[in-house]
Amino acid sequence: MEHVKSLLTKVGIDPERLEMFNLSAAMGPRWAEMCNEFTEKIRRLGPSPIWMATCSPKKNIKE
Amino acid sequence: MITGEQKPFEEIWNMVKDFKKVLVFGCNTCVAICHAGGGKEAEILASLLRMRAAEEGAAIEINHAAVERHCEPEFFQPVMENIRTYDLILSTACGVGVNLLSENIGDIPVFPAINTEFFGAVPRAGEFTELCAGCGNCILHLTGGICPIARCSKSLLNGPCGGTNNGNCEVSPDIKCAWVLIYDRMKKLNKLDLMKEINEAKDWSKAQGPRNFKVKVLEEIKK
Repeated sequence: MEHVKSLLTKVGIDPERLEMFNLSAAMGPRWAEMCNEFTEKIRRLGPSPIWMATCSPKKNIKE
Repeated sequence: MITGEQKPFEEIWNMVKDFKKVLVFGCNTCVAICHAGGGKEAEILASLLRMRAAEEGAAIEINHAAVERHCEPEFFQPVMENIRTYDLILSTACGVGVNLLSENIGDIPVFPAINTEFFGAVPRAGEFTELCAGCGNCILHLTGGICPIARCSKSLLNGPCGGTNNGNCEVSPDIKCAWVLIYDRMKKLNKLDLMKEINEAKDWSKAQGPRNFKVKVLEEIKK
């Protein structure tokens, strides 16, 4: 995980955007909790620079 | 085996950014063992470059491929037709591979994505250490199987020097003094008398490039 995070940093992507969670298949409620937490975290961080770069021309056209 | 480490990402990006169609070409032998340039690393590097290209808004097609060896033409010849469709081959093979591919590919540039370092041993997974310098004139029978050319910071033929420090080299506490290792080894082999013999100056002409040789038996068979 640390290695992949360092690779993401190299290309200018916040390593916080990647996380690994360990849990068993029987931990449904915890799974949902993690999904919500991580979704919130990503929302807070905003759109990824790659998404912004690849989508911005289209956006401009719409605007 | 040949060891190498991937170049800094910025240096690689600066090499490829002005091309339109780039192949990251891995070698699955030595440099794959040191996690620098195998097929897997070529794939990761291609992916990172695509991300960077997207961020910069650069329209570059970046793909990856790998063959077992870049140091023998028979391994890359089968894919030659395909790789000739690229503007740039970014090779993650060692310098030998980059040279040989450059000679064979025609007018397409082949750039190195890794810094080739030394040929070394793998004492533990992920650790690499230089034990032989390939000097072309082996003296390991005189030094207890421990090479002072590769393992002594000064490549001394008659050591140790005054910089030996409790078994380590003055250059770094991480480097063992090769001549202390040689002494200990000779003691075990009951050959300490060899330590008293002066090793004469080496013929360094055999250590200089360009070097090449032919296997005589194979040459005779060809005839």
